[in-house]
Amino acid sequence: MRRLLLCCASSLAIYLLLFAGILDRPLTLGALQARIDANLARGQQIEGPKLVIIAGSNGPYSHRCETIEPILGLPCVNAGVAVGVGLDYLFARWETQLHKGDIVYLPLEEAQYARQHASAALGPDAAIMLRHDRTTLAAMPWHRITAAVFTGDLRGLVMSMIEMTLNHDGFHDPRASLTGTVNAWGDHVGHTPALGQPNQDVLARFMPYHPDGAQITNGYGSTLIARFLDTARARGITVIGGLPTGFADSPIAAEALDAIRTLYRAHATPFLALPNLSRYPRTAFFDSADHLNEQAQQTHSVAVANALAAMLDTIPTSTQAILYPTPMPASNPTPMPASNPTPMPASNPTPMPAMPPPAVTASLSGPMP
Amino acid sequence: MLFTTPLFILGFLPIALAGFHVAGRLGGSSGGLPATLCWLIAASLVFYGWWNPWHLPLLISSILVNHPIARQIGRSSTPRLWLTAGLTLNLGVLAIFKYADFLRQTIAPGVPPFGLALPLAISFFTFQQIMFLVDTARDPDRPRPTLLSYAAFVTFFPHLIAGPLVRPAEIIPQLARPGRLDADQITDGLLIFLLGLGRKCVLADMFGSFADTGFAAAEAGQTLTFFEAWYATLSYALQIYFDFAGYSDMALGLARMFNIRFPLNFDSPYQARDIADFWRRWHITLGAFLRTYVYIPLGGNRHHHTANLMATMLLAGLWHGAGWNFILWGGWHGVMLSLHAAWRRLNRPLPAPLGQTITLLGVILAWVPFRTGSVTGISAMFAGLSGLNGITLPRMIVNAMPPLAAIAQPVSVMPSLGDARTLSFPEVTACLLLGWCIVLALPNIHRMSINLRHWALTSGFALSVQAVFFAPHVAPFLYFQF
Repeated sequence: MRRLLLCCASSLAIYLLLFAGILDRPLTLGALQARIDANLARGQQIEGPKLVIIAGSNGPYSHRCETIEPILGLPCVNAGVAVGVGLDYLFARWETQLHKGDIVYLPLEEAQYARQHASAALGPDAAIMLRHDRTTLAAMPWHRITAAVFTGDLRGLVMSMIEMTLNHDGFHDPRASLTGTVNAWGDHVGHTPALGQPNQDVLARFMPYHPDGAQITNGYGSTLIARFLDTARARGITVIGGLPTGFADSPIAAEALDAIRTLYRAHATPFLALPNLSRYPRTAFFDSADHLNEQAQQTHSVAVANALAAMLDTIPTSTQAILYPTPMPASNPTPMPASNPTPMPASNPTPMPAMPPPAVTASLSGPMP
Repeated sequence: MLFTTPLFILGFLPIALAGFHVAGRLGGSSGGLPATLCWLIAASLVFYGWWNPWHLPLLISSILVNHPIARQIGRSSTPRLWLTAGLTLNLGVLAIFKYADFLRQTIAPGVPPFGLALPLAISFFTFQQIMFLVDTARDPDRPRPTLLSYAAFVTFFPHLIAGPLVRPAEIIPQLARPGRLDADQITDGLLIFLLGLGRKCVLADMFGSFADTGFAAAEAGQTLTFFEAWYATLSYALQIYFDFAGYSDMALGLARMFNIRFPLNFDSPYQARDIADFWRRWHITLGAFLRTYVYIPLGGNRHHHTANLMATMLLAGLWHGAGWNFILWGGWHGVMLSLHAAWRRLNRPLPAPLGQTITLLGVILAWVPFRTGSVTGISAMFAGLSGLNGITLPRMIVNAMPPLAAIAQPVSVMPSLGDARTLSFPEVTACLLLGWCIVLALPNIHRMSINLRHWALTSGFALSVQAVFFAPHVAPFLYFQF
């Protein structure tokens, strides 16, 4: 029995050594981490109030801070990364970068509300924290720390070895040529309709999964969001809830939509719902049900910006005093090398014939002044 | 309750072991046999009923009916009558719960389904009791177990859900021993259990995720290219082996902790030299059951050999599930066994590597109908396997090895491979290489030296901990559905 226990203990020790100290996934998790760090760096550079968009990948693909910023006259950071990245991790990282007067727009994906406790603790951020960001990990609750320690599985081990080898050999990442890249605001750019054309067959058949109202209400993600809303309000940060982009023929169920609205209402947080509920034809999407193509991204961003502007006029935020007496010109952020490896040409703002007219009014379900 | 759940590992098992030990001590010098058996039965019924307590009455009734029938077979002047009645009863129950809807759909597809819930492990505990009745009829003078011993044998939780199908004569005498924990048996059993846990949770579930993607695409009628189809099929072949062999190892290990030795159920089947050898290594206890209770009574190889083989293997297919795909799988194996028997009669043995390759290929391809329930899925998968839909490879692979462009079309991602990501192809390739190296080049855990077993535990224990306690989703055992 002693030998058996020794084997078990050795196994755990080797596992910890490998996953916490040796193995890494520079091409996948490394890219996510670089994206988060670049967004935070941009947030840090901005003095005064700013708009920060936090979401999953519908944040950078379907929203364009580059477009929103001049309309609102407010510097903008597109801090959405990927739907699997834990909200507690993103909120924790942004906590130090958000100040009184800042505005946070949350067009979160439904899955981010409905995520269960177990899967939330094992997202890609767990591996990132364990390997590269132990400061944030140390501040997490104990269950999150334990889960991060045990986030590595056999697939992760195999992928780590592949990615480390490819990275060592100077692997040319083909993703930029396949999906576009990211600009200095953190927006995904270059995901043009032409580049997304090969995905149209898949998109035409794809059936998005929608959690129901109970899953939204009871999800661990909703708990994390509620906690963030309360903390932000206490710190004078204005949070505005929103809806993710999705297929027009596959709307969020009415009860799920109610559950999302109720969450924000219960925490005295305004909620922005465009008349089209951020739903667009399938042809407006790039490669998934969350990712608008670049043209639609710009159209949607104009609609969101106008709605946010209308909404901010009605919300007594600490931003108003700072923002509106001296409207800020469009900022010109310094491009950050890490976040913009292959700058894309300015995208074509041609209006899409298949798109519904941009929405310029917002329905407010949050507290009215 | 699943063997892989924290509830079982940290709750049920320690309590069951402690209770077994305490019950063994209660009887003093007699070893506390009735108390031990009562404890084992109670624990096993809790284990079984945890999933659905409404199926407990069927299990208990089955035991309460079969035991007196066996007594009548031993005592009565008309044992064949009692045996026939017992077999009819058992097969009737199995037919009602497992095959009624299949027959309805085959004979009268317009009739609405009966909608009977399939009781967990009905195939296993029914066959277990059929063995008992037939063995009693064959040897009426054999000492007959008490109802308590018999109930403990049938319900004994390590084999209740998914086997192995153990012969009553092998296990019941072992249950008659005093119930005391033995440190060596606990250690051996725990080691085997942990290694089985790793095979199931770490290996089977990983390959299952690869197989699911490809087979789901095939069933949806999507086009699978050559590598997508082969990788899904090779993954499923590994999944079902690691899943079932892992389960069997866990069952063997658990039984060992209670001082019971189960027979070996898997002996590196993918290393088999020929298809007959495969069936001596794959699900050994089912193979033995079919040979002893079906094939030999039908006439074995004395007369109508091919027909007997086909009938036995078709029944094997039907035992796995009420569906034409399972019958097709059984028939496929029947044809392979018949061809093998015919080839042997020619007395021209193939070189061993060639024989092994042909056998492995046949077995792997037979998993396609086993895994896919629809004609659409089967035809889509075979179209991909045969290269009818062309060969695609990730652009980065073709760029790195330009000659590949002559045979493969470069694509950005392969949508039915792994997670359909840029690096999914190298990921699945590496995992498949690892899996097939384990099954083809390494001995199974029962053939390993004790040192090698400890090395295997060292390499896999932490990954098993991760899979059991932290992975958000652990797939249930495949064989639970049978």
